[in-house]
Amino acid sequence: MTALRSIDVSKVFEDGFTALADINLSVEPGEFVTLLGPSGCGKTTLLKIFAGFYAPTTGRIEQDGADVTHAPPEKRDTAMCFQSYALFPHLSVAENIEFGPKQNRVARDERLTRLNELLRQVDLERHRDKLPNKLSGGQQQRVALARALAMRPSVVLFDEPLSNLDAKLREQVRREIRGLQREFGFTAIYVTHDQAEALAMSDRVVVMSGGKVEQIGAPEEVYQRPETAFVADFIGSANLLPFKSAENGSVDTALGRLTVAAPPGDAARYLCWRPEDAEFGTGEGDNVISADISSRAYQGSYTELHVSVPNAPDQRLHWPGTAGSVGARISFRLPPERIRFVRGELA
Amino acid sequence: MTWRRALLILALLAPGLGVILLMIGSVFYVAVMQSFGFYNLVGEDSFSLEHWRKVLNSKQFSRALSYSAYIAVVAAIGSVILAYPIAIWLRRPFRGSLVISALLKAPLFVPGLVASFLFLNVIAFHGIVNQFLMWVGFTDAPIRMQNDRGAWGVVFLQLWKNMPFALLLLTGAVQSISDEVLDAARDLGAGSFARFRKVIAPLTVQAMQAALIIIFIGAAGDFAFQVTAGPTNVQSMAQYMVFLKDSFGRWNQAAVVGVSLMILALVGSLLLAIVARFVLRSGNRW
Amino acid sequence: MVSVAENVVETTRKKPRRKAGALNRFLMILLLTVCFVWLFVPFTMAVLWSLVDPETGWEHPDLLPPSLTLLRWAEVWTTTALPQAIGNSYMLAPTVAVITLILASPTAYCFARFDFPGKGLAQVLTLLPLVVPGFVLAIFFSSLIFSLGIYSRFLSILMAHCVLFLPYAIRIMTVSFGQVRQDLIDAARDLGASPIAVFRAAYMPALMPGILASLIIVFIQSIEEFAIAFIVGAPNFTTIPSILYSYLGYNFIRPNAAVVSLILVVPNVLLMLGLERLLKSANPAQAGAKG
Repeated sequence: MTALRSIDVSKVFEDGFTALADINLSVEPGEFVTLLGPSGCGKTTLLKIFAGFYAPTTGRIEQDGADVTHAPPEKRDTAMCFQSYALFPHLSVAENIEFGPKQNRVARDERLTRLNELLRQVDLERHRDKLPNKLSGGQQQRVALARALAMRPSVVLFDEPLSNLDAKLREQVRREIRGLQREFGFTAIYVTHDQAEALAMSDRVVVMSGGKVEQIGAPEEVYQRPETAFVADFIGSANLLPFKSAENGSVDTALGRLTVAAPPGDAARYLCWRPEDAEFGTGEGDNVISADISSRAYQGSYTELHVSVPNAPDQRLHWPGTAGSVGARISFRLPPERIRFVRGELA
Repeated sequence: MTWRRALLILALLAPGLGVILLMIGSVFYVAVMQSFGFYNLVGEDSFSLEHWRKVLNSKQFSRALSYSAYIAVVAAIGSVILAYPIAIWLRRPFRGSLVISALLKAPLFVPGLVASFLFLNVIAFHGIVNQFLMWVGFTDAPIRMQNDRGAWGVVFLQLWKNMPFALLLLTGAVQSISDEVLDAARDLGAGSFARFRKVIAPLTVQAMQAALIIIFIGAAGDFAFQVTAGPTNVQSMAQYMVFLKDSFGRWNQAAVVGVSLMILALVGSLLLAIVARFVLRSGNRW
Repeated sequence: MVSVAENVVETTRKKPRRKAGALNRFLMILLLTVCFVWLFVPFTMAVLWSLVDPETGWEHPDLLPPSLTLLRWAEVWTTTALPQAIGNSYMLAPTVAVITLILASPTAYCFARFDFPGKGLAQVLTLLPLVVPGFVLAIFFSSLIFSLGIYSRFLSILMAHCVLFLPYAIRIMTVSFGQVRQDLIDAARDLGASPIAVFRAAYMPALMPGILASLIIVFIQSIEEFAIAFIVGAPNFTTIPSILYSYLGYNFIRPNAAVVSLILVVPNVLLMLGLERLLKSANPAQAGAKG
């Protein structure tokens, strides 16, 4: 039985703004699913519909097989981790964590057991009596997490929990969240606009844009086999070129005639290749391209080069190490098997 | 803190704070002194506890004291109880909420005496309320509602005047609670009343206390409402004090009442605030 | 990828205005009815009563006065002490407003820009006039000035009003002084401005709203103040509220009381509305407890 499902869900707000259209999503128990997309794509709206703060305009939400579309948040078996942590400022860490169980009349002994275990798991035992304003951002985040977990919910919803933390801390808390999720085994729905986060944490990624689902799949699939131009461009970077089919299964592009491994489908709109796919070396084989470097940016483990191409935007490629100066000519090869086709337009 | 700086600060505070302290201090001093027999406008100055004894033993005084205390408590608690749900309802804007908010705060612009007049006008023998009741058939003859014995007129006026003030203070406090904190409470299973008791009330205690204190003090010292619309068989403390002064110039006794009123205002309001805080804060220990 | 601008759009989108749901609509209608009874009816009654023709009067069972005229206003104007009271009130109030502002500013400046031990206590102490019941203040203040030999009523009331309303002025001006930006002061000085020029360039823009608010609020408070005007002013110096009081006692002359009430309230409401319009950002009502 699926843990959580949205069926034909759409959401139109009072002012006419369509936040979501025809969302169909099934989440298995114990899965870590990320809703990924730019601001305004509807991911937070969908999360709030799962939590019960919004009711969908059309469609249904099912949890463990039961229809919960109109159940309010206080009645759902979900717990939310808010972006601003939303800790109760007048309650201590321990009191914050105990709030949910107390509210649901959990027996005192059981409540204390959960509290102590959680404090240990998020490493906040020394801070149990402190008020939230005495804690750092990372500590507050962990209290918010512990507070949600104290409810022993079957589904935990995360609303961009790491966006207020600095980079180093983000990585650490990210691993902690994933670790706790594996240990407790709850289903997690995680919202973020950071694609690196999504790729690192998820079992499946739901890429969204403009209220619609662009693609659903495991991180590897979404990265290596993007289906739409939006997904290709949003996750990692991509070079997208219009193309025209030519004979023998090759295509004509601004880069010249290219051999491809798989022919474009009927819906294909752009040819797509990633900067790291470019090969440098002998200059032999098919799909060898020469171009002038228009700019370079050293990135440490590679140098990002932009090369100019007639009738197309600059193409990006990653040159291992450091090399190349602006204006120099460079040649590289695109392996046919690394070339993909995607449908749809860029956002 | 150098001498120069200290002097500068004192000089800056003198025309404002200094004047306040001087004036209020003098008035307080005069009142206390007069209650003990000094500062007599006529006759000898001599220390005496006689005035205190006389007043504290008088039945009129104890009636005035309990009456003023009663009005003050009812006005304060009533205003806050009425204002809380409204403040919570108006927390996030919706269509028409600004109009409602402005209308509810309108009595703040109406001075007490005008409020008395409007009230008397409406409940008078030939006033609109009586005319309405007769039209509806509730009664055949006009009901005398003015100066009623149960002091309902005064209570109504106090609530009319003070509820908007409590609303003003509470609205600010309630709006400062972030949406996400309340959403989190809902998410963790708290229904409306639980959210009020465990989140909203504890976080707005200070505003509530300020409202209680200010309303209590104002209502305890009321003169205008009592004289115009209040029961004739009992006096408020302020009324009694003026009465003592006007009749036979019993300034010393008036001073006793005045000092007692100040004590009632201060002690009563602080007690009320502490009790209210206790009642609300304990919400999260249950 | 994601630009900062998109983030801004997202956050302004995040909270859609709730349409009034069914419960909200019901409550609104309930409240509008209550407001109708609470506000509109009494005021209409007051206006009607002020317009009652002295000849015909307005008796039960007439629902509305038989004839409306401004004669009553003329009569009140010519036969009672109202013109004098109006003159007194409107002479007193601006004087109080200006003097209070002048007295309050140094203290407000000190509170806004200095830190010193006991500052918190000092700020609480400025609220003292609000804590003493008005009539106690009035009676013992009159006793005080009498024993000091001050006989001028105007001067006495003036002094009392200034002290009574200082807390409002101090509070408002403290906020205003707090809004003066240090970096603007520094920039002006850096550009070689004289102290007066620095004042005009850096201080005045932040202070103007506060000065206006303080003047208007103290003005309104002084016009409406009753206890001190009544006790200290009696019997020669009448103000509008003490005239109104005389019509509310055993002498309940409704039309006169109606006229005086309107004269008391309408200019004040207009002033407050004018103030709120002038100060879109500041919230002056928050600094004052009315009535």
